[in-house]
Amino acid sequence: MDLIANILYDTIYHSTPVILLVIGGVYAYKANVLNIAMEGMLLFGAFSSALMILSTGSLFYGLLFALIVNIFIGLIFSYFGITRKGNVIIVGIAINLLTSALAAFILKVKGMAIINLSEQVDIASLKVNIPLIKDIPFFGDVLSGHPITTYLTFVLIFVLSVVMFRTKFGTYVRVVGENEEAAKSIGIKVNLIKYSAVIVGSLTAALAGYNLAIERLALYTNTMSAGRGFIAIAAIYCGRGKPKLSSIYAIIFGLAKALAINFKLFAGPISGLFEAIPYLVMVIVLLMASYLDNKNSWKRGYPNE
Amino acid sequence: MKRFLLLTVLSVFAISLAACSKTDDAKSIAIVTSAAGQNDNGYNESAVDGAKKIKDEFGVDYHVVDTTDVPGALEQLAESGYELIFSLEYNFDALVNGVGGAKSIAEKYPDTTFVVFNDNPNLNEDGTVKHENVISVVFDVHESSYLAGALSVSVLENASTLFDASTYSFADLDVDGRSIGFIGGVQSNGITVFSYGFVEGINRAAADLNVNYDYYTDYSAGFGDPVSGSTISNTMYQNGVNVVYSVAGVVGDGVASKANELDRLAIQVDANKDADQPGSILTSVLKNTEVPVYQITKAFIDEKIGDLDNALSYDLDSGATGMTDLAEIEKMVTASGMTKWNEIKTYIETLATEIADGTVTVTDAQSGETLDTTTLTNVTVK
Repeated sequence: MDLIANILYDTIYHSTPVILLVIGGVYAYKANVLNIAMEGMLLFGAFSSALMILSTGSLFYGLLFALIVNIFIGLIFSYFGITRKGNVIIVGIAINLLTSALAAFILKVKGMAIINLSEQVDIASLKVNIPLIKDIPFFGDVLSGHPITTYLTFVLIFVLSVVMFRTKFGTYVRVVGENEEAAKSIGIKVNLIKYSAVIVGSLTAALAGYNLAIERLALYTNTMSAGRGFIAIAAIYCGRGKPKLSSIYAIIFGLAKALAINFKLFAGPISGLFEAIPYLVMVIVLLMASYLDNKNSWKRGYPNE
Repeated sequence: MKRFLLLTVLSVFAISLAACSKTDDAKSIAIVTSAAGQNDNGYNESAVDGAKKIKDEFGVDYHVVDTTDVPGALEQLAESGYELIFSLEYNFDALVNGVGGAKSIAEKYPDTTFVVFNDNPNLNEDGTVKHENVISVVFDVHESSYLAGALSVSVLENASTLFDASTYSFADLDVDGRSIGFIGGVQSNGITVFSYGFVEGINRAAADLNVNYDYYTDYSAGFGDPVSGSTISNTMYQNGVNVVYSVAGVVGDGVASKANELDRLAIQVDANKDADQPGSILTSVLKNTEVPVYQITKAFIDEKIGDLDNALSYDLDSGATGMTDLAEIEKMVTASGMTKWNEIKTYIETLATEIADGTVTVTDAQSGETLDTTTLTNVTVK
């Protein structure tokens, strides 16, 4: 595999979990619920699937369990943040803290430092080699050989985008987010919509966790989310909650991360600088996006809406 | 009802306080683990093993604390009367210097002996000892890394003799070039000490076999994200690297997972992790904390702890550092490769003796030495 193909392959690798978080997270964003618990939800998805696969050996049960656990986490978040009208930032932080603490506790009880699934999961066999495409030079290296969730992710971008803009549910989510009182007045069950919006996000986070911990690594460690939940929030804000646009920002992050990793190898001692690139790119993009967004209102004084 | 509740709460408090403090004057020791926790199958666990051994032999009790607040734990333990405390985390500031204008913990509790690992923070600028009651333990991991480097080269050069052709899919040494990689968590002496020893070991074996190796390094992988470990090592493996040595916490687990996926080799560190990815981990470079814990505690029991140096360094010979017994990788060696394998093991033992008797000196970054790249005749550092 040459360098460019490698960079593009890694881009898909690193983008996938972030895209999953983004396309689910935009629902909560559009429903005007700030879900900063995505980091914790990602970790919960990774942890619960790893734990289940460790005890049953079945990938399917692992994924199923991760989805169930994450629905439950979404419900907890929604109950405190929406029904009880708690501060969603605080609730989100609580969930983020709870995740690693709970996982650390369970690991300690089980007498393990990390969950290692190398006996249960054979990563190489989880890679899907697409017939025909895998034989095309260059593109085959980039597009073939990813696990199934990765391909599903790119399908989901379009599915969830259609749901957002072409279905009743999507419309309700946007209405609730734009004007809650108006939504109430026409009889939309506002809380139900908000709950569902959060849970869509927690479900895709479960997929993201499964993708990272099971399909890519076959291991779980307590720090493996590594800020991806927050990167996803940045991507959602950059893309103003549009699933496709936000996903593109997620891919930009993935590209930056892949560039950093691949260039590091040849950079020698200054390779540490490259580690900052993904985060730097995110800050610059956020700055540009908000500048372009608000340019009209600053310059001419009309509201941007 | 309210009063009853209050009483219950108070009594629970009282009980928990009593549980914290030591009940009698008998000697007992405490161990504060590092972030990996006491079940890490190595670094922390072997310290606990050392304490167990002491308990069996001398009846001295031990108390293990898993915490994220190391200074807090040290202070609480010292306050409740533990006279010997081992602190395995890389966290010394509050102990030696004191933070936020407070007195340092070592100064506050002069009757307690604190033992810290992997660095010697207990020095003034002029090189004198700051606190008599702080002992720092350093492992000569550069020596064991040297052996790991030599082993890597010996195994790669003889891969076709040792292993069945289907076991590994190594990059072809003659076509893709010979290369070995190193991934470190952060650029510091505590990490480069591994790398320098490792590359010198590679150089030694490469010189003995008359071949040339490329050495790829990354000193900024962090310690937390196994996913980046997996992709960084992937880049290395795709560039023809066959063995990656990682000294970067759980990042190394990501590397080992990638090695397993691609049927290449990884080298782990601190604990014996060879069985994590059976056959894909060549060896682990160990820090066997059992040895210093046992020795220091024994001196403490014999009331000779004052005679110990404030800076102890444990070399290959002491058994406190070294490689694993290579049992996992040996399972992959074919019957016909066994003769060669034993030759390699003997070769590694020879190197260990040469280090012990001083014929070979390995650069020790822990004590401030830097690598002189001109000595690397058979390795190109990329």
